[in-house]
Amino acid sequence: MKQFILRRVVQLVLVVFAVTFLTFASLNLVGDPLFNIVGVLSGIPDEQCEAVARGEIPDTQSSGLNMGDCALIAQAKEQNNLDRNVVERYGIWLSDMLSGDFGTSFVNGNEISDIVRERLPVTVRLIVLAQIVALGIAIPWGVASAYRANRGFDKVSTVGSFGLLSIPNFALGVILLYFFALRWQIFPSRYENAGWWSELQALTLPAFTLGLGLAATYQRLLRTDLITTLQDDFIHMARAKGMTDRHIMYRHALRPSMFSVITVFGVNTGALIGGALVVEQIFSIPGVGTELVEAVLRNDPPVVIALISVVAIGFVLINFFVDLMYGYLDPRVRAS
Amino acid sequence: MSDADANDGTSAVEPVTIDDGMVDDGMVDHAVGKKLGVGFWIAVGWLGVLVATVLFAPYLPFNDPDKLAAGPARTGPSLDNWVGTAALGRDGLARAGSGARGALGGGVRAERAAGPARTGPSLDNWFGTDALGRDVFARTVYGARVSLVVGFIAIAFGMVVGGSLGLVAGYFRGRVDQVISFVFFTLLSFPGLILALLITSTFDRTLRTVSLTLGVLAVAPVGRLARAATLVFAEREFVQAARVIGAKHFRIMTRELLPVVLIPMAALALLGMGVAIVAEGGLAFLQLSVEDISWGVIINDGRGIRDLQENPHVALMPIGVMFLTILALNFAGDRVREYFDVRETAF
Repeated sequence: MKQFILRRVVQLVLVVFAVTFLTFASLNLVGDPLFNIVGVLSGIPDEQCEAVARGEIPDTQSSGLNMGDCALIAQAKEQNNLDRNVVERYGIWLSDMLSGDFGTSFVNGNEISDIVRERLPVTVRLIVLAQIVALGIAIPWGVASAYRANRGFDKVSTVGSFGLLSIPNFALGVILLYFFALRWQIFPSRYENAGWWSELQALTLPAFTLGLGLAATYQRLLRTDLITTLQDDFIHMARAKGMTDRHIMYRHALRPSMFSVITVFGVNTGALIGGALVVEQIFSIPGVGTELVEAVLRNDPPVVIALISVVAIGFVLINFFVDLMYGYLDPRVRAS
Repeated sequence: MSDADANDGTSAVEPVTIDDGMVDDGMVDHAVGKKLGVGFWIAVGWLGVLVATVLFAPYLPFNDPDKLAAGPARTGPSLDNWVGTAALGRDGLARAGSGARGALGGGVRAERAAGPARTGPSLDNWFGTDALGRDVFARTVYGARVSLVVGFIAIAFGMVVGGSLGLVAGYFRGRVDQVISFVFFTLLSFPGLILALLITSTFDRTLRTVSLTLGVLAVAPVGRLARAATLVFAEREFVQAARVIGAKHFRIMTRELLPVVLIPMAALALLGMGVAIVAEGGLAFLQLSVEDISWGVIINDGRGIRDLQENPHVALMPIGVMFLTILALNFAGDRVREYFDVRETAF
């Protein structure tokens, strides 16, 4: 077990490096970071500023410059280490990030760690709520359809889950928004956070948007596993002892049938993060997704890099813990 | 490919172990003989009709997707509209104020003067018209062009790149396999839509970039499946026989392994195309998809709260068409998978 954990930790660290470097490098190599900070001033050729530094030409309008342009550029380069190559910059950025310094936005100068602190909890609450909705629906649903497999209810529910899996989450979001928020006005159509109750109400529709499709995924896996489990001897034994069907289903059959669901739990959290981006747009929720999209649209690389890294690291960590849990639950995994 | 994970879960990785189709009619098919079933042909029929409509759209008697309804038209400055209205009947001042974003059909922002335009479904406009009086049906048809092309190119790219990498990894194993598997693992470590967002935001938003971006997302799932299938088949007698008679690596991979590995990949391709179409729609919602009409763009145009309240059909009609298409792709893919799983056991 110790070796299993060690190997997974090494893998985890490598993946975190790969993911953050990929993000950092792609946003630094495409486009000119200097342009993002000082705008058109980045067009001033280096030789001209070197000449200013040597005192050959003055840093004023007579030489096509404004007072202090070169000083501004030098300061921007100094602050963001733009004279170094990408790998060195990545190293500096990573060590800053590890010590909790995420840098500041190029555009509005906000501290990125403040942005993360403000936005991340909203998204996390949305995703947790979506998982609760998904499991809360999928477990009773899976049990009910596996209880009498291939009979009436199961057949209808197979069609239902197939249909749910075929609705894109943004389409489901629009449909739910239209019926539940606009037409019947059961839930608010805009996010508001005046206490936990209003936030819960505001997050209900988004959570269902994300959770319903996931519930169908879980239900299908759970149903298959339950059908297999129900053929095991210990179920016959329990039945022979005269236990109620409900007791057998929930107390005996459910737990050993959860493996597939646990496996996809981690992967699906990644899908949820992607889905949350879109759903946050539909319901105008001020989470990481909305901020990320805004940062992309206003061309603010440090914020984009930091947010993508935070999300990706979170995703890798979740999968890491799911793997560990899986290894703990099923000894065969540790051996492979 | 965020939804790939949601939709087929681990089935993409381990199609045999987690396949609920095997429990019910898989068995029956096996006993009676292979058949794809009526549902499969209905699904294929819908896809066929759709592709034909999309291909011949310019020659069919559809309305022009960009034409605005004859309506309020331009008016000069007046007491109501200080700057006058633009061609679309929107208040020029309000529009100037709403800033450079001004995406057509931005819904809430694009406030129209009282005029005809928006109408519900009718004989002339099967799906009704949108806030600017454009025919929603025509837009859905033309949007399908982009959506289907993106879906097709994405999955084709995934099949070619992911398939070859997976084949090489599964065939050579050892160091090569470790490196390629790590690449797959890293790709899968990004939440799909975030990776797409990263790529489209650093490059541009042309049809080619968006398709290839989604293609990159398809590489890892397809590659893992190809690798897993290759690992199984590389041990089979027919491969060993080829090796014994002195066939080169390349020949063994292309002539012996590729044909059998393609079978599970084909099923995944149908499912993956649906996923790519959905992912494109997701990007459109983030305003990071193609600068053209696609299903995602149309639905996004019609989803403003005001648009939904006044004219829900603008969003709901394309959603219906998109749903049927994804349903057809998923269903066909599922049937193909079941069909070939049965054949695989009969080897």
